[in-house]
Amino acid sequence: MTDFHPDLDLITEYTAGSLPLAQAACVSVHVNQCHRCQRTAGQLSDLGASLFEAQEPVPVGDDLLNLVLEKLDDEKPLEYAKPQNSSGTPALLQRLMRGDFSDLNWRNIGSTLRISHLKTGDPDHEFALYHIRAGGRIPEHTHRGTEMTLILEGGFSDANGSYHKGDFLIRRPGDVHAPTALQSEDCICLAVLDAPLKFTDWKFRWMNPFLKLHSA
Amino acid sequence: MLTVADTTDDEGKPLVDADGRRIDEWSECLTLMAKNQDRAAFTRLFRHFAPLMKAFALSGSTLSANHADELVQEVMLKVWQKAGAFNAEKAAASTWIYTIARNCRTDLYRRLQKFDTPLSAEDVSDTQESEEAFVVLHQKRSRDRIRSLIKELPNDQAQILGKVYMEGKTHSEVSGELNVPLGTVKSRVRLALQKLQIQLER
Repeated sequence: MTDFHPDLDLITEYTAGSLPLAQAACVSVHVNQCHRCQRTAGQLSDLGASLFEAQEPVPVGDDLLNLVLEKLDDEKPLEYAKPQNSSGTPALLQRLMRGDFSDLNWRNIGSTLRISHLKTGDPDHEFALYHIRAGGRIPEHTHRGTEMTLILEGGFSDANGSYHKGDFLIRRPGDVHAPTALQSEDCICLAVLDAPLKFTDWKFRWMNPFLKLHSA
Repeated sequence: MLTVADTTDDEGKPLVDADGRRIDEWSECLTLMAKNQDRAAFTRLFRHFAPLMKAFALSGSTLSANHADELVQEVMLKVWQKAGAFNAEKAAASTWIYTIARNCRTDLYRRLQKFDTPLSAEDVSDTQESEEAFVVLHQKRSRDRIRSLIKELPNDQAQILGKVYMEGKTHSEVSGELNVPLGTVKSRVRLALQKLQIQLER
């Protein structure tokens, strides 16, 4: 059903756990509803496991084993069993939305588009839902950074083609487009954008002495 | 009850039970842990996997030894608590355990960075297992193939896969670290995946 998927590079980084949180969240919503990408992700996780097993082991003392053995009888932490997802909205989005699309705070951008930002905690990426009126056109824009888009409802088209529910698209810096929602129904999509300023990388922030204070 | 010796043949290959199901030592351990709260099985699994988890925690050398031990503890406890959710017919024990270790390591990184997020790594993980028998069989074949072909990868490709999977680095981080263009990193990863016969199905 879906014609547009994340590429192999992206699924590799996704299964290796190195994608930034907001991007990983977007990829996971697609992967969990696309059997083909699921199979690919499964193979890549098997690859990760093979590499994991082929590592040179680092000795672990019996004191650590005994420490863990002592904790085995502790009660499992209380965990809320997630109810079956009945609404068709991906479970991950339900968690972030606390309600459905109609309960969100939407910011109107003209009369054809409104945007609602969801909080993922990823400091480098915007994670937002776009609601485009049926037939509505978004003015032409250039992508200054990378944008991932996943269509949740409806669809849209641009000069390159038309896209439907479940399709996953990625725009690189410099791409220009002017998407128009399909005439038949409103379009809701999830968009993940690089924040305007993105100079820090993970490794750098991890070494920040301020953080070390709390990790000691 | 099966013992370790019963679950592999002379060459250490996994045996299959009367119903054609895969049995290997670690699936057996997980099953015993879930069914009987078997501590001996847990200890066997710990002795094999904890040193691998510690190596995994320390690779990329961003975590201290204390944090590495903390991670080993956390992952092994999770493995014990979640053993009941492991399905030996659908998943490989090593992949199941690796996935828990990977998610816990990501969460630990984020905790140490004071990341304030409602999502855990598990929430954004690919968790669904296929129900279809032919898909399960296909995955098992692919897994066996990856295991044997991985030893034949040229060094430069094996090194990059190690950085991507064990050190958890993005392609552009690997490019910066090895001082190799991003395109070269990507093409080495793709060549390696091609040799392992991992591809997107279209």
